Amino acid sequence: MTNNYNESLESKLKETTKLGLDVVKESTEDRLMTLSVGPQHPGSGHFRFTIKVDGDYIVYCDPDPGYVHRGEEKMCEYRNYIQNIPHLERPVIHDSTNITYSYSLAVEELLGIEVPRRGQFIRAIASELNRLVYTLYWLAIYGIFLGHSTMFMWPAGDRELFIDLLAALTGARVTHAFNIPGGVRNDIPEGFKNKCLEYVNYFEKRLKAYEDIFYNNPLFRQRTENVGILLKEDAINLGVTGSVLRASGVAHDVRKVEPYDVYNEIDFKVQYMKTCDSFARAYVPFLDMRESCNIIRQLLDKMPESGEVRLKLQSNPKGRIGEAYKRVESGRGALSYYIVSDGSSKPYRVKISVGSFRNILALPHLLVGSRLGDMPSIYWALNYWPVEADR
Amino acid sequence: MATAPKEFRFGNFVGSLVWLIFWIIVIVSLVGLPLIFILLFYIPLPYSNGEVITPYLFLSMIVDPTRTVPIIKFLIHTDFFRAAIFPGFAYAALIAAATIFVERKFLAKMQLRTGPLYAGKIEGILQLMADGLKLISKEIIAPSGADKPIFWSTPIIFVATAAALTALIPVAPGWVVSDLDVGLLAIFAILGFFPLIALLFSWSSNSKYPFIGGLRALHQMIAFEIPFILSALSIVLLSASLNLTDIVEAQDSFWFFAIAPLSAFVFYISSLAELERVPFDLPEAESEIVAGWLTETSGMIYGLIQLGTYVKLYVLAALFVILFMGGWMGPQIFPQELIPGYSGEKIYNATVVNGIFWFTIKTFGIIMLILLPRGINPRIRIDILLHTGWYKLIVLSFINMFIVLAMIYGGILTPGGLQ
Amino acid sequence: MSSSIIKKTSTATGFIKAIESGSKHLLMKRFTLRFPEQKLKFVGDGYQFDPKRGVGIAGSRGRHILFHEKCTGCQLCAITCEGIAEAIEMVKVNEKWKQNKKSIMPQIDYGKCVFCGLCVDACPFYALYMTDDFELSSFTKEHLIYTPAQLAVKPKYDGTVEVKIDERGASHG
Repeated sequence: MTNNYNESLESKLKETTKLGLDVVKESTEDRLMTLSVGPQHPGSGHFRFTIKVDGDYIVYCDPDPGYVHRGEEKMCEYRNYIQNIPHLERPVIHDSTNITYSYSLAVEELLGIEVPRRGQFIRAIASELNRLVYTLYWLAIYGIFLGHSTMFMWPAGDRELFIDLLAALTGARVTHAFNIPGGVRNDIPEGFKNKCLEYVNYFEKRLKAYEDIFYNNPLFRQRTENVGILLKEDAINLGVTGSVLRASGVAHDVRKVEPYDVYNEIDFKVQYMKTCDSFARAYVPFLDMRESCNIIRQLLDKMPESGEVRLKLQSNPKGRIGEAYKRVESGRGALSYYIVSDGSSKPYRVKISVGSFRNILALPHLLVGSRLGDMPSIYWALNYWPVEADR
Repeated sequence: MATAPKEFRFGNFVGSLVWLIFWIIVIVSLVGLPLIFILLFYIPLPYSNGEVITPYLFLSMIVDPTRTVPIIKFLIHTDFFRAAIFPGFAYAALIAAATIFVERKFLAKMQLRTGPLYAGKIEGILQLMADGLKLISKEIIAPSGADKPIFWSTPIIFVATAAALTALIPVAPGWVVSDLDVGLLAIFAILGFFPLIALLFSWSSNSKYPFIGGLRALHQMIAFEIPFILSALSIVLLSASLNLTDIVEAQDSFWFFAIAPLSAFVFYISSLAELERVPFDLPEAESEIVAGWLTETSGMIYGLIQLGTYVKLYVLAALFVILFMGGWMGPQIFPQELIPGYSGEKIYNATVVNGIFWFTIKTFGIIMLILLPRGINPRIRIDILLHTGWYKLIVLSFINMFIVLAMIYGGILTPGGLQ
Repeated sequence: MSSSIIKKTSTATGFIKAIESGSKHLLMKRFTLRFPEQKLKFVGDGYQFDPKRGVGIAGSRGRHILFHEKCTGCQLCAITCEGIAEAIEMVKVNEKWKQNKKSIMPQIDYGKCVFCGLCVDACPFYALYMTDDFELSSFTKEHLIYTPAQLAVKPKYDGTVEVKIDERGASHG
């Protein structure tokens, strides 16, 4: 079965690129029209890419990130380890616990401390809730890119439930500043466990409505099946990560491959699909959301009843001389930090490697040879968050 | 907000009201009254009981209200009233405005949110007025390289063409602005102008995204005109006439929807494509081409184009009702006389009011059906659109046409109704 | 490790299910929260920090509240904020307190504050907490700078609306 599948996919891929190549050979510069799908475009977020179009086919694509570059990595060198948290979580405001999770893990390795067990469980709960919030927002924007206004409103409304949970837990709706080297900043409030279980159970019923109106809608299927095919070898060679990789048949999830904190005690499955097209890239995050609901229920069950959540550190902790590298699975893919420390209280060099920046390499590869009408479904299915990629 | 509003002083408020009334009186007496008298010089006044009815007689209604009835009856049957107010432009515009509001609330309820809520005391009912005022007060920005005469005149032509369509729709027996013998053909002829208007506007905007949107609009509307006409052809076979009033009167025993459901389905899908509604709204696809051929509209130009679109929606829904659902036919539920025992001149005509009632209800039902796909479907892509339009819809309408022809040949039906 | 295989439904069933699902939602309750007539209820009394145990107490992070009888003018909050947003500045006040020899207290500029709460974590004397108040807009930038006297006032917040989930859907109120 796998061989036949791959062959038919290869032939489809050859067909679409052949069309693209033929078009490029015949056309002169006069026939091409340059469109700048720029930052001021309702179809691209804060990100600019230039495409050249011949009739309805795209023949050239050049992504141009950097519109919202802020110099996060340089800013880290002027602040100490605790003061770095508020500005590091701004690149992805509603997935902020994941982007500071990796940083905290790396700093804890440099400081040589270990987070108490209850703190690890609370970190994982907040991380899964953030994953749900991010994926729902991504799904809402995917709906509106394809013109489906109902699919914009339903996830945006359901996301409010989880944002309320996070506001009760951390104090802020977005940019939570919750993870800190040493643990989490506060313990869970009263009544949180029951409210969390109620909302998660309600949300799982809503997933059926999403499937009915969006994923099984024949018009959506027609628009995304067999569009933007990214074969398994190409996916591995281009270095894409996260749900894009899992939609091309590679079962790779950082929580399973290199488990961090308490993830080796949780029983969940890696969701992946073999069809490699845009529909698979849209469906894998949906399956991930179901798994996240399972994980949250298990975490709430297994959490120790009492315990410390944060280690008391001195006010300006100094790291040992050395380097640390830690990786975490965020909503977009593998997010890793590489911190070099020279023994003072400020880091010497911080390198952030985000999933979005890796995924955008697949955009020229997929867009060339496809139609202009496929541009939103291919571009947003790559799970690209412009602010995070520019850091 | 840079400045706080000034304090309210009642004296200033009364002063501004008096100033306004003063200017109204000046303009009416210096300009309005002479105009009225010049007009009256040229219009022939109506007769009633051998007496010419003058405006002075009209003002004597304060004494005896029944004296106004002949004047109102005369005014209702003039051509101007029919073309501008009912069943012409004002009626269509009113239904269009109601449709916009109902669409927003209906979609909002389906998406689990409230729609417009704060304009007007009950659930935002005055939102349309607020939107109209906002659009009038905005600046209209024309791009610098745009073709100015075409850019400024095309929206007006758009609304005018949509309004011209309303002149052909019969709302009640005898109430149609122009009763052509080739009414159905005239509607399709006027509908053929819309792709040209879209292309003209997008070309004159002198920008890339409107250009792509205009071409898409051209492809879409032209591709769907053929299934449109073919589906109406079955109805022409059944009723033996192109006159819309005759088509309605041929449905007095049963609706044509019972014999031609496939044609009704094809007509419905084609009208969604002609109106550029979701799922066929690719000429204005927001995420791909930034509002398509409407990109450079701002202010009242956008308002005019929206008005034209929703008037066209009313026209196509009314056409569906006339062709497939019996027009104004329905059980008589209004009494023959409003005031029993009144023997003077009457404006109230029971069949006409009954017809208007049933027609409006059926049109509203079909409008709700046209609004429904917006909450359910995403946008379609252009090659799938052309494939559907050229292959599937034409085949379906041909199948239904052959069924109708077989029934007529077999003697079950005659052209003009049941045997 | 499981790969999912999606069942392919026919076109007509797909459309009918979508219409059914959409129409069922016409009977569900609306989810909107009508701010400012309805306001959400917050859990807890605002974010607080216990320097003895070294851990915070859950609450929402809004405007700060400064307890004048505990503040010693140690400037630790200002030093922490220097690397984050530079929103806290120590100013001289006219009050005489036993524990505050230099008579200085923090003044917070809400045009710059990012509401991270690390200043609350830094205070070792239980003097700086955060409250539920988030409606801080004003007409001029100068009005956003809250003096220590303004920061001592406890705000009144009366949100009472919560999310209720029943069989007709989730709604506020």
